[in-house]
Amino acid sequence: MSIRPLFAAMAILALAGCATDPAPVEQMRLTEQALEQAKAVGATVDDVPELKLAEDKFKRAQGNMQDESYKHARMRAEQAELDARLAEARVLTLKSQEQLNVLQSRITRLRKQLGDAQ
Amino acid sequence: MNRITRVFSGALVVACTGLYGCAGQHSEEVLQQAGSDFQKVKEDSSVLRIAPKDVIRAGESLARADRLSSYWGSGADVVHYAYLSQRYSEIAREHTEQVLNEERAAKLELERQRLQLALREAKLLSVQQQGKWLEEQIISLATTQTDRGLVMTLGDVLFDTGEAELKNSANRTVLKVVQFLQLNPKRVVRIEGYTDNTGDKQSNLQLSRDRAQAVADMLVDLGIDEKRIKVEGYGDDYPLEANASERGRAQNRRVEIVFSDEKGQLGAAR
Repeated sequence: MSIRPLFAAMAILALAGCATDPAPVEQMRLTEQALEQAKAVGATVDDVPELKLAEDKFKRAQGNMQDESYKHARMRAEQAELDARLAEARVLTLKSQEQLNVLQSRITRLRKQLGDAQ
Repeated sequence: MNRITRVFSGALVVACTGLYGCAGQHSEEVLQQAGSDFQKVKEDSSVLRIAPKDVIRAGESLARADRLSSYWGSGADVVHYAYLSQRYSEIAREHTEQVLNEERAAKLELERQRLQLALREAKLLSVQQQGKWLEEQIISLATTQTDRGLVMTLGDVLFDTGEAELKNSANRTVLKVVQFLQLNPKRVVRIEGYTDNTGDKQSNLQLSRDRAQAVADMLVDLGIDEKRIKVEGYGDDYPLEANASERGRAQNRRVEIVFSDEKGQLGAAR
């Protein structure tokens, strides 16, 4: 009677123990790829805060993998993947904006010269 | 012993509930934020058109977080999937912005080409009005062969004093350069600006650079790839004549266009 709560607590702990996920090897690979891709388009830790987030989380996920704490590893790696993808998207958007600005200033210059030429 | 276990397990249950309470409140907030982010991208027709997959993923993650939030003790998972949902919404928005920018750029590019053509025609017309266009040789008197290669000098009559803007009288020379470069697609040029020694060094350097850049801009506007053009400003260095007389100073105020050989090999910069 008096020992029942202890059983309950142990059962919960045991359940949590059983619920360990398999090692998220594929997810780790995906995250690493996303990080590489973000860097390949020119994202840097200093300019894009999301990339810093992604790298920190990925490092912690690697630590979790070593400790065989696979659920944490998977969650961190999943978040890191999307952080990296967002970093990549931000850089690409910024680049497209710069491209637009260059075109805009060229057009302004052309218009001005056309005005002068006539 | 029994007593101790009982107290301990009681405390454990209380601690768990307390933890859940906090996590529950926090996850509720995150879930709401993710929900409103998703709502915004879902209602944006551009986002739906351009990044439908990301929107779907944001919705799936949100649904998962929502479902988990009804389970006891799943606060961390709720926060996790809400976070993923928010990220997908943001990515969808960024992708959309990027593609919209590209679409805008494509329109501007057409506009730029149209204007470029118009400008070329206008220049040609004004040159023809000035006459003699057809008799002009591509490499005329203004071009000299030096140890630096083929050099064309644009004298100071092409700029107003202290100004970097190219005057209309430069049209003919500039067009000649454009035509020459179009006939010789491998050749590249270095445009060098020079000033006389009036005024301070720093502003002369700037002025010389600005003038060279103005010539470069004009070439680019007339369709020469900017990769073929280098720009240098030398301020009052390398005078052609002594700066003692007005005539000498006028000679020193100039922009020189140095042409590479046929293979695109430029002489070294000064």
